Amino acid sequence: MKKILLMLTVFVCMTGMARSQDNPPASLGYSPSSYYTFSWNTTFSIGDFNKWVGNASPAGFDIGGRYFIKGGLAAGFNISWQRIGQTYEHETYYGTSGQALTATNYRFTWMVPFTGVIAYHLMADKTVSPYVSLGIGGDYMEHHLLIQEYDIYKTRWDFSLTPEIGALIKFGNFAQWGAIVAFNYKWTTNQIDLYNDREIKNLQMLDLKVGVALTIR
Amino acid sequence: MKTKLLILIAFGWLAFTSCSKYPPASSRVAEDLAIYTQVDVNTDFNNYKTFSMPNTIVYIDGKDTSTLNNSNATVLLNRIALDMKNRGFEQIANTGKPDFGFNVTAIKTTTTTVYSPGWYYGYPGYYPWGYPSYGYPYYPTYISSYSAGTVIIDLVDLKNVVNNTIMVRWNAFIRGLVTNMHTQTEITNSVDQAFKQTPSLITTPVTK
Repeated sequence: MKKILLMLTVFVCMTGMARSQDNPPASLGYSPSSYYTFSWNTTFSIGDFNKWVGNASPAGFDIGGRYFIKGGLAAGFNISWQRIGQTYEHETYYGTSGQALTATNYRFTWMVPFTGVIAYHLMADKTVSPYVSLGIGGDYMEHHLLIQEYDIYKTRWDFSLTPEIGALIKFGNFAQWGAIVAFNYKWTTNQIDLYNDREIKNLQMLDLKVGVALTIR
Repeated sequence: MKTKLLILIAFGWLAFTSCSKYPPASSRVAEDLAIYTQVDVNTDFNNYKTFSMPNTIVYIDGKDTSTLNNSNATVLLNRIALDMKNRGFEQIANTGKPDFGFNVTAIKTTTTTVYSPGWYYGYPGYYPWGYPSYGYPYYPTYISSYSAGTVIIDLVDLKNVVNNTIMVRWNAFIRGLVTNMHTQTEITNSVDQAFKQTPSLITTPVTK
């Protein structure tokens, strides 16, 4: 009895596979001509940047657009804004002209990254389309050291590289709306030189992006 | 479709407004003791060997001045003297021509004051070292508002008086120190920290 059931199961599966190869169903989906994303970012500082602010920060958002050029190859842009900060108790800040201040410090960096992106989507017509991309661009960053009523800060522009992996997930084969989930590593030429006794160079971070996507046929 | 777009725009606006540049005030302004010091980086403190201490702390309340003589004042003055001795300076009497003198001031209430050379002109009669004016070899910190209980410690150069002006070589502001909310241990720790963050304020003791 068990053997019969096993053979029947194998037969049903094989029949199904053969059928799907012979007659692909009409509901495979579509390849979008472009899509736009709006996502919520969580940033994790790494490297020297982690010495400035060790906390991960969920205070960030990103707007992106991709335009398919050929097959799964797409080009586009991303503009984001992000704040990452942390409180440090009883820290001493040494200024450049003989000043020193010991108090609770609140350090934060506010950044506006903007990148041009080249992406390659695998299975662009499927419901779930994984992709790899490389963003090349820059950032506007403000590094602030808030010590009570004092606000010591510097602004910096930089060059950045952002390799990313992610997936565009449509809410159905023919749905225009979907979700985007992505993870990227970012390297920048930005630096923090607010302190007299330390310098933080080449800020690096990891970003987790989760958001909504609007695809255009 | 329109509804979805409106939802997206509303979500975007919410995100934009919630992601302001500055963090909320609750996470940045901690009402704790803040110790600020400024030192004349061009002064070689090894050229100075002696200092003298005042007996009281000047207490400023608006435009009125008085003196503070309580146990906290004594602890504060004694600790400054101890830290100076630990840095190699010798304490002598006011009449013994010390190289350095101290002005120690406490602010009674939150007030708006401009701190710059000549600041003491606003407080007639407050010239404890007998000179009509004070000067700064460095650009002094401009503080527009003192918190209640802030202590200001000025280290004045009595060795090199120029045109009846004595120069401030080091000063410290300790926010909120004499509000009666802090223990005497906190007072001594704060004074110690002010010295600790000024490593150049040291001399080689005179061998006798």
